[in-house]
Formats: sequence, structure tokens, C-alpha cells
Amino acid sequence: MVRYYLSGNEAIVEGAIRAGCRYYAGYPITPSTEIMERISIRFNEIGGVFMQMEDEIAAICSVIGASWAGAKAMTATSGPGFSLMQEGIGYAAMTETPIVVVDVQRAGPSTGQATRVASGDIMQAKWGSSGDYQVIAVSPWSVQEAYEQTISAFNLAEKYRVPVLLLTEEAIGHLRERIDVVKDIEIFNRRKKPGAAPFGTEERDGVPPMPTFGEGEKALVTGSTHDSYGFRRTDDPLVQDRLVSRLNEKIINNREEIIDYEDYYLEDATVVVISYGFTARSSLFAVEALRAEGRKIGMLRLKTLWPFPDSLKRNIGARANVLFVPEMNKGQVAGEVRKYVSCQVVTFTQTNGEVIYPDAIIEQLRRYL
Amino acid sequence: MVPIKQVILCGFGGQGIVLAGTILSQAAFNDGKWVSSTDSYGAAARGGACRAEVVISERPIIFPYVIAADTLIAMYQTAYDKYIGCVKPGEGVVIYDERFVPEEMKGLKYVGIPASRTALEELNNGMAANVIILSAAVEMTDVVSKKELKSAIEEIIPERLRELNLKAMNIGFRLGRTKSNHIHQR
Repeated sequence: MVRYYLSGNEAIVEGAIRAGCRYYAGYPITPSTEIMERISIRFNEIGGVFMQMEDEIAAICSVIGASWAGAKAMTATSGPGFSLMQEGIGYAAMTETPIVVVDVQRAGPSTGQATRVASGDIMQAKWGSSGDYQVIAVSPWSVQEAYEQTISAFNLAEKYRVPVLLLTEEAIGHLRERIDVVKDIEIFNRRKKPGAAPFGTEERDGVPPMPTFGEGEKALVTGSTHDSYGFRRTDDPLVQDRLVSRLNEKIINNREEIIDYEDYYLEDATVVVISYGFTARSSLFAVEALRAEGRKIGMLRLKTLWPFPDSLKRNIGARANVLFVPEMNKGQVAGEVRKYVSCQVVTFTQTNGEVIYPDAIIEQLRRYL
Repeated sequence: MVPIKQVILCGFGGQGIVLAGTILSQAAFNDGKWVSSTDSYGAAARGGACRAEVVISERPIIFPYVIAADTLIAMYQTAYDKYIGCVKPGEGVVIYDERFVPEEMKGLKYVGIPASRTALEELNNGMAANVIILSAAVEMTDVVSKKELKSAIEEIIPERLRELNLKAMNIGFRLGRTKSNHIHQR
């Protein structure tokens, strides 16, 4: 085990390199720029390809191309750039291209406050592009987890041939913490099967093997509706339905394997805090303080935001009658929680560009304890 | 309760506050502690009230920002005014650069360090005041070991400025020793 002292943004770079990322294309934007800066230096040392593109649309398209050429590829941005990348995210979902997109969220909408924090892109991450598709999105609460989740983002992208979004926040990107890196980490590489159909499969997980340009296979890639060999079928209802269903089902049907969370003190909890990202640090602090007073409070920390953990009802314990969801947006995850539970869901929102401190959460929670 | 030490360094953007915070947190890391740190970012780090905050603990840190500072290191009046409210009531220590005279708050302990003046007089370089006041604070509070403070300076400071900063560190240790009898309680 090796110990480092890094910022969240730096840890993302190290995680990407550990996962095998050797292509980065990006356009700098606060508060994500340190990712681009560090990876340009690190790739120079280890032999990766770094491209500064003319904008975020070009960046994500370049990353998609690199992935088809066989590279594990990543880009990083913040809210306004993430909006521009939505077109590419939809294209990557439709063409089943493994890519990793990091969004170091800042206060929006639009250019908002460049140096300030928010978690305002949770819904954009899921619904930002056109049509019905699935992505995987994860959200780290520490520098350690920024490192680990970047590795798992690449693994999930390769495994499910899907864009994976690392939804972090300014507060994690610029936080410096000690991290411990273990030697043995599982790395997943995309499945290849020369001659197999690249966009259709009989495999149970619904993920077809992926050809690589330049390795002798004929590969057709299009964002228009296509059959299992990539031929455009833009007026065939059956092909359209089969494709869209599989794009969704390969994620939804494997969600138990994809979704990751942590729980605290749920056995007897009547009030459960549901939290993610940086805010989960404040939430756990609050929960521990109230537990020390003997209050029956617990917490569920969402490490995966998309696909959303719809088995929530099972996870929050039998006694929970109030769910409390603090977030640095206007209640984006709270709204999603409401879809899956029948008990009272209380939102606590803050959109002033500052992190939520534990005392604010404690004060609100006292009303329900 | 797990001992957690919370430190805020504040001053005017350009005084080296962020650098001092980085050195302190690197020293704590070298000491084998758990440490979280954040600092002013963007325009604030380049003028205006600027801060760095460092949380040091024997165990993993749940909330990584300072909630109530055990120590406030203040190098400028306006920054002091902005962050004095973050100091732990009744027990916090304020270590300030004697270039300004803080309006002292009841219940806190104060000690003035002539960091800027000594940097000019002994090193002919006012920019070294940050390392002087940080080292004085380390001498007085033992927040990190002196040995690892030195190694952090050696790791972080570029070679051409290393000797200057190590001199500043030793001046800080000396001032900390002589001034530790001058901590006064309000």
C-alpha cells in the first residue's frame, strides 16, 4: 500500500491512469482544470495522448473516437461544458462507446459561479441528451473515493459499453486528503470477439463485444438506428424498438451489480438521511452527533446515482418513517427518492455556492427526532 | 473524543497563505496523520481576504472543513476580521502578525509574532513572513512535528528559495520559543 496526499482532481487523474486511461481530450474549465493540467503532465511521463480541443463538443467526440480506436479515454469538465457534452453522451450511449466523463460540478445554471460548489447536474446527467437511454453515474465523497470511483468508472464503461459519468463537486475536486492506494486493483477490459455482431448479442448481460478500428474488422458506427451489424435502419420500427430496449435493459437488468451504497445505523433508525457526494460528509457528521445523543437516526449514502437505487425501500430499514435528503441543488435526488417510497421525504436544499455544514443539517433533523 | 486539530491561516492574497497551508498539511501527512485541507481559490487567492484551512486527526476525518478552529494564524486585519468568528470559543488561540493590532475577542488567547518585520530585518525579504509565522505557530502549538515541517518545506519549496525558507523556519521557531510566554488570555 502506498500513501499519497492529493486533491480530488489529482486523484481522478491517478485513478484514470491506474485504470488504463491513455487518451484525454478536453477543454479547460474551472473547477475541473487541474485534471487536465495534471493528466497532460502525467501522460508525458507515461506515454498517453493528450489533446486540448477547441471546445467541449469536440472534446467528447474526440474521446469517443479514441475509444473506438481501442483506447480507454476520458474527458473532464464542469456544468456549462457538461451541457455542451450532452450531444456526445447521447451519441456514446447509442453507439455503445465506453467513455468516462468527469463533471466537477459548480454553481449554475449556465456559467453561474465558476469557483463555487453545487450538485446541480444530477438530472442533467441522466436526462441531458435526446431519447431513452441509460448512463451510469457515480459520486465520490472523498479524495480516496475520487480515486477508486474513477477506476470503477472505467471498469463499468468497459464492461457495459456505456458512458460513465463521475459526478463530483468543486468541494471534492479542490479538497486535499490523504489516500491509500492498494497494489491489487481489479481492472476490466472490454470484451472482443472478432466477427461477432458489435451491436447485438444473445449474451445474457446484453452487452455485445466491441471491435476496434485498425484490427481488421469491418465496423460501422452510427448514432442513427442500426441493426446488430451497425447498418442504418432508420425506418424499421422493430429494429428501433429492439435497440432502444437493449440499450436500457443492459443497464437496468444489471443494476444490482452496478449500484453501490453504504449504510449507517439503519437497524433501529426512524429517521434516515439519504446523502451523496460531499454533502454526505456533513450528513454523517450530523448523524454521528445525533446518535451520540441516543437519537434513532441512520444514513444511506448513495455511491451510484444512475441507475437510481430503486430498491431504496428495502435499503432504508423497516422502521424509517422520515427520509431526509440534504443536497446542494433544489431537491433533484429527493424527487427521485419520492418515486420509490411512500413515507415522508423531507428536502433540505442549499444553492448559495457554499457547502452544507453539519450544524445546519442537525438543526433541521431535530424537527423530526 | 478523538483529538482533531483545526487550523485556519488567513491573510491578504499574495502573502503566501495558501502555500503556508499546503506546507502545514503536508507536514501533518508526513507525520502519519489523517489530514484534510482546502484553501481560497481563484480571485480570492490573488488579493482580498484569503484563507487556508487544515484539519488534522489521528483517525479518518468525517467532515473535512474547519468547524471551530483551535488555532487561527492571521496575517492581515481584514482577513482576521472575517475569520475570527470561526475560532473555538473559550479555548482557541490566535497567532497574529504584529503588523496589525487585532481587536481582541473575550475568551480567546492571543500572541503577536513580528513575522513581517523580522522577515524584512533578518532576511531582507518580506515574502518569508508566512513561513516565519507558521513555524512560530508550530513551535507553540505542536500541531505538527518540527522535523516534518522542515521536510515539508524541503519538498514543496523550489530549490532556489529553499534556503531562505529554512532560515525563515528557524527564525519562526526562535520567535515561537520567546513568545510562548507572551500568550495572553482575554
